Amino acid sequence: MSVETVEVTKALKQPHGRSRVIAGIIVGLGLFVALVFGLGSSGRAKSQFTFSPVNLSSNAPWHLGALTVNTRGWNVVLGVLIIALGTEVWVRRPRAPMLRFGLSSIIFLFALLFWACRTPGPSQIPFVNLTATLAGSVGIAMVLMYGSLSGVLCERAGVVNIAIEGQFLGGAFFGSMVVSVTNSFLYAALAGALFGALLGWLLAFLAIRYMSDQVIVGVVIVTMMASLSSYLNLQVLTPYPNFNLGNTASTTGIPLLDKIPVLGPVLFNETWFFYLAVALVALVSFGLFKTRWGLRVRAVGEHPKAAESVGINVARTRYRNVIMGGAVAGLGGVAFMATQGQFQPGYTSGLGYVALAALIFGRWKPSGAVVASILFGLSAFLANGLQSYSVPVSSEIIGMFPYIITIAVVAGLIGRVRPPAADGVPFKRS
Amino acid sequence: MKIWNFLKRLNARGPAATAFFALILGFIIGALVIIATTAVVLNAWRHVFSSPTAIFSALKVTFDNVGAAYRAIFIGAVGSPSAYSHSITTGQGWTNTIDPLSETLTYATPLAIASIAVCIAFRTGIFNIGANGQAILGGIAGAWAGSMVHLPTALHIPFTLILGVLGGALGGLIPGVLKAYAGAHEVIVTLMLNYIIAFFLLYVTLSTALQQPGQANDISRTIDGSAVLPPIFGTGSGLRVSYGLFIAAAVVLFGWWFLNRSTLGFDFRITGANPHAARAAGINARRVIIFVFLISGGLAGLAGEVQMASTTHFVDGGFLIGSAGVGFTAITVALLGRNEPMGIVWGSLLFAALNVGGRTMQASTGIPLDLAAIIQSIVVLFVASPVLVKEIFRLHTTTEAVQLATKGWGQ
Repeated sequence: MSVETVEVTKALKQPHGRSRVIAGIIVGLGLFVALVFGLGSSGRAKSQFTFSPVNLSSNAPWHLGALTVNTRGWNVVLGVLIIALGTEVWVRRPRAPMLRFGLSSIIFLFALLFWACRTPGPSQIPFVNLTATLAGSVGIAMVLMYGSLSGVLCERAGVVNIAIEGQFLGGAFFGSMVVSVTNSFLYAALAGALFGALLGWLLAFLAIRYMSDQVIVGVVIVTMMASLSSYLNLQVLTPYPNFNLGNTASTTGIPLLDKIPVLGPVLFNETWFFYLAVALVALVSFGLFKTRWGLRVRAVGEHPKAAESVGINVARTRYRNVIMGGAVAGLGGVAFMATQGQFQPGYTSGLGYVALAALIFGRWKPSGAVVASILFGLSAFLANGLQSYSVPVSSEIIGMFPYIITIAVVAGLIGRVRPPAADGVPFKRS
Repeated sequence: MKIWNFLKRLNARGPAATAFFALILGFIIGALVIIATTAVVLNAWRHVFSSPTAIFSALKVTFDNVGAAYRAIFIGAVGSPSAYSHSITTGQGWTNTIDPLSETLTYATPLAIASIAVCIAFRTGIFNIGANGQAILGGIAGAWAGSMVHLPTALHIPFTLILGVLGGALGGLIPGVLKAYAGAHEVIVTLMLNYIIAFFLLYVTLSTALQQPGQANDISRTIDGSAVLPPIFGTGSGLRVSYGLFIAAAVVLFGWWFLNRSTLGFDFRITGANPHAARAAGINARRVIIFVFLISGGLAGLAGEVQMASTTHFVDGGFLIGSAGVGFTAITVALLGRNEPMGIVWGSLLFAALNVGGRTMQASTGIPLDLAAIIQSIVVLFVASPVLVKEIFRLHTTTEAVQLATKGWGQ
């Protein structure tokens, strides 16, 4: 057997084994749901979903009554559904097994919620409000969309932007200050984007001109912004609370569409930060894959030498993209602040890094990043929501969920996805 | 200008001058931050617009404020000159005089250990941002071993130290295995683990037998007296610097020996310098990755254990969280020390001094401790870009190969 054949069989076999591992984990999740949340609950227990928006658009023209289901039967069905997904991964070995894994974890969390709210049961709250849950998840997903979009812009041009978390913090800080003074989220968004762009420039300046280690510079920018925002919080915001009023952006409904039951309040009655995020995703997606600019950016990220030889200015392309990416991440920080209110130190609690994982999950594509952001947003919000039910798992353990899912996804994906070839590699003109 | 020439010559030899100039830049930018956020200073400058002569008083106010802050850092970290002269002439009050030094050494002890942990990973081409989480795990394991197991001192201290190492190594094993067998990039995994471990710390101190009995807060049991790392000058002296200092010294020696003299360390360095050459030489990449994380995590765990056993004697929900995160400062120290054990000794002393002095500054001038972290990160930004420093100070550019510590996502 020649060396080449050995390598080919290896390349074919490795994903095979990994599919099996992922399939095994998914089936395990399904069995757990079916056995513990399903058969483990009493046959008389009922779970209730409600659909009315809590305080999102109180004048919805529709009213959907609560849906009451048998906890045991419903969760067994959900468990079987997850097992089916796992079996599919085992048998068919689809191209995106981690998408199935993501879906399974979401179903798992929903099953956990239904089980937690069962009556008779230990919980104070006997229902799950589906609309509110989805709306809250969209809020987190929106921030992740900004973050991973920023990652797409930078990494497609070959610069790793780990500083997203720092750009979030900076954007949120200055956004909060500007909106408190001017009472206008437009100015806040501009200020946040400007500051994010400044941090992007700093990263680009050190990474491109001085060829510093991009990951290290990124991480140091995050520590710098974490300490700087905490410093300014104590020095400026605490003595002058008028600079940190904690305004939140109001929502704008899209006529007619916002009247659709459940989906209306979730997707079509949002702040304009959300609509902007969707528009940016479409814009960047179109730009990257359908325009000359996008072709050039991708060439710079894949093979800068070849790009340079056809007359593309590698450094300028990278500068431009990293600065744009910084601006987008800064906007994300303002968007986060616009939904969460008052700035606090350590505000974004690692969402910037989760956005990076979403970027990898989405295969460095804007559209993929959206799917990933929704998955991560749902898991983060469901885990948060669980804390208000009396679940026999302590809230600290539940708090770990989103991070564990992030690790699992990243571990299950790499080797199947391919980053831009020159990602993170400084370019030296020859 | 003799000093200037001396420094320029120094720079031709090594990176020490880069670190020195980076430090100067860090303090300058730190001063700008103070100026921009202190109301008194800003008011003084506002008058300059109305009367040009006010510029002198404005400058004076500026220097007074910045000077007060930096003087407080120095006094808090090293001690005040007047106290030293008083102690030297009268022979009294030594405890108070050298207390700042003792505090700096107390802070530097776990910092140096954790920095060696980060440094060994860096030299292998692996970025262990999880050192802080691993240190927390080490502290938890040490608190468990110190409070739930009862042994005579001669056995108890080594037992808690070993458990601390094991706790940290366990925390390192997760990213190690995931990187070696699943190819997951260690930066994302260790960052996420830091958050997971912070929750785990809360869980352990709130909901397990390790919680201090009769307490509702997130606080663990206090370790036995037999597990405490005793202060060098005796328990009654009031000086906190402990025998952990010798552990740190041993770890630094170990780090030097390991990286420069041991076979495994050689494999590590080859892998870091050129993974392809390492593979061609028959070095097992997976084995290297797992061992790096075991050793780096174990040392970080030891740092957490030493921190717990020499200062607080228990862990609580805020142990090494936020600005107290020794493992995060360790990354900056390893970079400042150019990943050389001796450089790390100086770096950890310096950053320990900044942090300890920062507390005094916060108490006496009201400027938040975060300033220390700001200065540190700016210093490291410059240290990571040596060419920039050389351009700013117009130093002779020596051709210096830029070695990247980290690699892209795909491998």
